[in-house]
Formats: sequence, C-alpha cells, structure tokens
Amino acid sequence: MLLSLSARILVRALLVCLLICSASLTIMPVYAFEQPDELVIGIEPEHNIFDQMERYRYLADYLSVQLGVKVRLTIMSRYGEVLKRFKTLKLDGAFLTSYTATMAIKELQLEPVANPVNLNGESNSEGYIFVRKDSGIRSFQDMKGGNIVFVDPATMEGYLFPLAFLHQHGITDIDSFFNRYFFSGSHASAIFAVLDGRADIGAAKNTTYNAMTNNDPSIQQELEIIARSPKVPEITLCLKSEIAPDLRERMANALLNMDKTPDGIKTLQQFKALGFVKASKEDFFIIENMAREALGSITVHGK
Amino acid sequence: MLKILLTVLFVLAAVPNLHAEKRIGVIMTGDIPYYGTIHDTFVTELNKKFAGSEEIEIILQRPFPDPIAWSNAARKLIAFDVDLIVTYGSPAAHAVIHEKGRIPLVYAGFYEPESTAVDMKNVTGCGFRVPLSSILRYFKRLKSITTLGIVFSGIEEDSVRQFEAMQRLAGQQDIKTEKIDILSRADLDRLKTKDFDVVFITGSSLVHLWLDDIVSILDEKRIPVADIFPDDKESGVLMTLYQPSHTQGEMAAEMAWQILLGTKPSDITTYTFRETELVFNLVEAKHLGINFPIQLLIEATRVIE
Repeated sequence: MLLSLSARILVRALLVCLLICSASLTIMPVYAFEQPDELVIGIEPEHNIFDQMERYRYLADYLSVQLGVKVRLTIMSRYGEVLKRFKTLKLDGAFLTSYTATMAIKELQLEPVANPVNLNGESNSEGYIFVRKDSGIRSFQDMKGGNIVFVDPATMEGYLFPLAFLHQHGITDIDSFFNRYFFSGSHASAIFAVLDGRADIGAAKNTTYNAMTNNDPSIQQELEIIARSPKVPEITLCLKSEIAPDLRERMANALLNMDKTPDGIKTLQQFKALGFVKASKEDFFIIENMAREALGSITVHGK
Repeated sequence: MLKILLTVLFVLAAVPNLHAEKRIGVIMTGDIPYYGTIHDTFVTELNKKFAGSEEIEIILQRPFPDPIAWSNAARKLIAFDVDLIVTYGSPAAHAVIHEKGRIPLVYAGFYEPESTAVDMKNVTGCGFRVPLSSILRYFKRLKSITTLGIVFSGIEEDSVRQFEAMQRLAGQQDIKTEKIDILSRADLDRLKTKDFDVVFITGSSLVHLWLDDIVSILDEKRIPVADIFPDDKESGVLMTLYQPSHTQGEMAAEMAWQILLGTKPSDITTYTFRETELVFNLVEAKHLGINFPIQLLIEATRVIE
C-alpha cells in the first residue's frame, strides 16, 4: 500500500520523535549517576593516625575489589573538618564520628550507610565525664571553678554531651563556670590530661576509655566516671546523595555481608572489627536534639 | 571637753597601729629553684597587697637540708618574735610545728598536706600533689621496665612518702624498685653501682641540691630520669611532671595577708594544688637513644628541643 507524501512525512517525523525520546530516556539516568572512576572517602583522625590509616587501607582495598571502583582514602586533618572540606577535598563519602555524621547528614545531605561493629560486638559508643578519684569532685556542683578538658568541638562524647549535661543542670556559660577549659584533640589525650592532673574533669568516649583501662588497670583505680551519655553510633560511613543508588547499595551490601565470605572475614580481622550493621538517619535524632538543647543549633560554629 | 578631744585624738592615733611594720619569717627546706619560685611570687604578691599601707620585713632562712638546721631556723624565727612564719616544703613546716610556738604558720610547697598531721589551730597553708602513676605510665610507654630506681632522702618526710607511694605503684605492676636514699654527697656513688632501667627523683631538697651530679652519673649509664620538680636548668631530666609552684606562692601571700589583718589561721581553708605541667626533653631523649612516639609527645605541655 502506497502512502501519500504527507503521510510519509508524518511517519518519518514520528519515528524521529520516538528515536529522540527513547535516546534521551536511556541517556538521562547515566548522566545523573555516572559510574565514577574512584571513590574518595575521608576519615576523621584518631589518636594514632598511622595505625588507623593502615586499618582503613585494608578495608578500602577490599571495597575496591568488590565494587570494581577504586576506593581511595584521605585523612582529614581534624575532627569536624568534613563540613568545611567535603567539597574542597572532593569527597564522595566519609567515615564519621556521631556528631559530625549528624551535621553532615543535615548540612550536606549525606546518606548514612553502615556502622562498623568493634571487637567487643558494639557499633555504638557513649560519652563519659570522668575525674580523678582523689579530686573530691562527685557531682556537677563540685566542678565549679575547675579545669575541664574536652576533645574537640565536633565530638558528641568529648564536647556536645558534657555541654548538654551541664545545660541540664542549669550551666549555660562554661567560661564563668570553669576556671579554664581546653581541647585535647583526641579522646586518649583527654584521659591522660585528667590522669596527670592537667585537668580536673574530662570528657571522652567509652571505647577509648575502656581500651585504655584494659591495657593499664591502674587507670581504672585512679579515675571515676560521674556521668554517661546515651549510646550513639560510634562511626558511620556516610555517602553523598549524588552517588548512584546502585553503587551505594552495592557498597552497603559489600560491607553488611563482609562477615560471610573468607576474604571479608580476613579484611575485618585486619580492620579490627566483627562486621558492619546498617545505619539509618533515625540513629542521629538523639544527637540532633542534644545539639539543639546545648548549642541552640545543630552545627558547631565554624564547622 | 579637752579630755574628750584628747581621747578622740588618741584613738585616731592608735588606728594607724594597723599599719605598723610586720615581720614575716620564712624558712625554705632547701635552697632549690622550686621553693625559690614560691618565695619570689610570695614576696611580689605580698608587696602588692600591702602596697603603700604597711612596711613588711621578711627574714629569709635557707638552711642546708638537715633536721638540726631546720630546727635552728625555726627557733631563730621564734626568738625574733616574728608576726608570722612561712615555710616551703614539709620538713621546714614540721620543724616549726615541733617547736609548739604560738606564732601562726603558713606552709607552702608541701606535698599532699592532707595525708600528714598538720591540722592545727594556728596552722594553715597550701600544698601540691603530682600523680606519680603518670610518671610510671609514661616511662612504660618509652621502654620496658624491670627495675625502677627511686632517689629520695630519708630525712625529708615528704620525699619518703613519695618513695613509698612510687614503690607501691611499681609493685602493683610487677616492677622491682631499687631505693637510693641520699643523706650525704657520698651517697651519690651508690647510683654508679646499682642497676635500674629508669630512675624517679622525688621532691627532696637535698637530692635537688645535687641534681646536676645525679643526672650526670645516670647520663653516663644512659638511664632516663623523671622528676616532680621542674628542671629549670635543663640538666638532662628526660621528663618532668610538676605542679607550677608560683600558684602556691600566690596563695601563701593571700593567706599571710589575711592572717596579718587579723584572720585566724584555723578560719583559712587549706588547699592542695593538683594541676600539673608535663615537659619532655627531646635533646636528652636523643642523647639516650630514645625515640619518643608522637602520641606521647602530644601530651606534653612543653617540649625541650
């Protein structure tokens, strides 16, 4: 059957339209979630960054193989730098401590993916406020006029929790309440500062505290915990939302199923963890509320 | 009328009696920099407090560290009938207390005053405490320790208490201790013959008079030394964990001022300073072939490089 000229033109036009539409339909998702050549993951520094980098390097190598994408690590110079440096360092994600994770989820719209489970079977940590047993400090009233050591303004256990604790007891101005306060830069250093008498009161996370007391039982004889925070995820891998959902899911699966394969188990041993558990945004609501209560906003100034 | 006027004038004339010259007797347990810093601060602060209002005479006694010398110094000040006695270090304070005089006493530079009997009616003061366990902890992070040498002086009560405390701490960690009791200069030779991995120096005046010699002997044996008094001359002490003593000078001056204005010593609360400074000497570490871990270095208040 012969078509008229106008009908043929119309058919051609329709075909062209169909082609264009189908082409654009297939290209668009690829454009939005491009498979990256590598993933750059930031790490917040711990007391011993050399040991930390080595542990995380095993994990990065394992993930590189599992995902078919090179996973590169970069250490951030200090706690809380993630908010400032996420873009300048071109990070795709980061292993974050609880308070920075809370800020990053809110401010940078990062997606929490998974939390490592430590060798004691815990994926959570809590904050301790502690003193020397011979200090005579037993409650918050006794802290007045003393010297307190925090860890870093971007830590829940080492800053936000003690602030919230004091706030709950009516102390809103730490400058006038304490003789002096300072930041030690690491949880271990905060503990040493109190042990040495360089500070009267300290705040740090339980995992570091417990590891130190296990290594040196004399520490437990000298220190006393006078307040504990609620438990929160200690470390969370957060990824930026622009990463393809498929890749994010594969990353989550690779981590959550590590303890089920020989290679995964070997890597976990090197990483010094038992496995990973799924993370969710709800895990961080408690920190968000704590920050709003103690600071009036979620973000530490300047972070 | 004239009588009333004369009485008023007499009373007014008597009021400046409050501004009469006061004499303070001071005894240092030993002439060492730690007590020197307390004294310098004490004098400066006291002069500020009495600036323009009253002349203060300070009679300073710096006996050689010895029980008879401390006792003589105390008796001398009692004989001078000073208005107040100030002591630095526990032996000097105990010497004054032993004389059972009525003159008020303010002590400073006293190690853990709450752990010894100085709770008397006419006595008050301030002291310090250093967590000796931290010294042991830092030593253990630098090298393995089998034997810890403890240098002290058996004639100084606070030095003996520090020796006993450190010995107890070491025992809890299965570390053997070797005591080196310094009573005379000849005792320094014992440092040459005894074996230990590290040495802790207690806050003894006698020991600190010969600190350079002690460090020199231990340096030859390549033995690291820790001290609870600052090594101001940088003689070669590897680490010092000490309480900055000027704060005790400030508080002693405040206490002295209040007593001279009429407050009873028993109404002034005693105080123990606990804040410390930690100093590592990297020059000495290099000399001893010790590599300080970075995690340890960051704990220091000051690093000598």
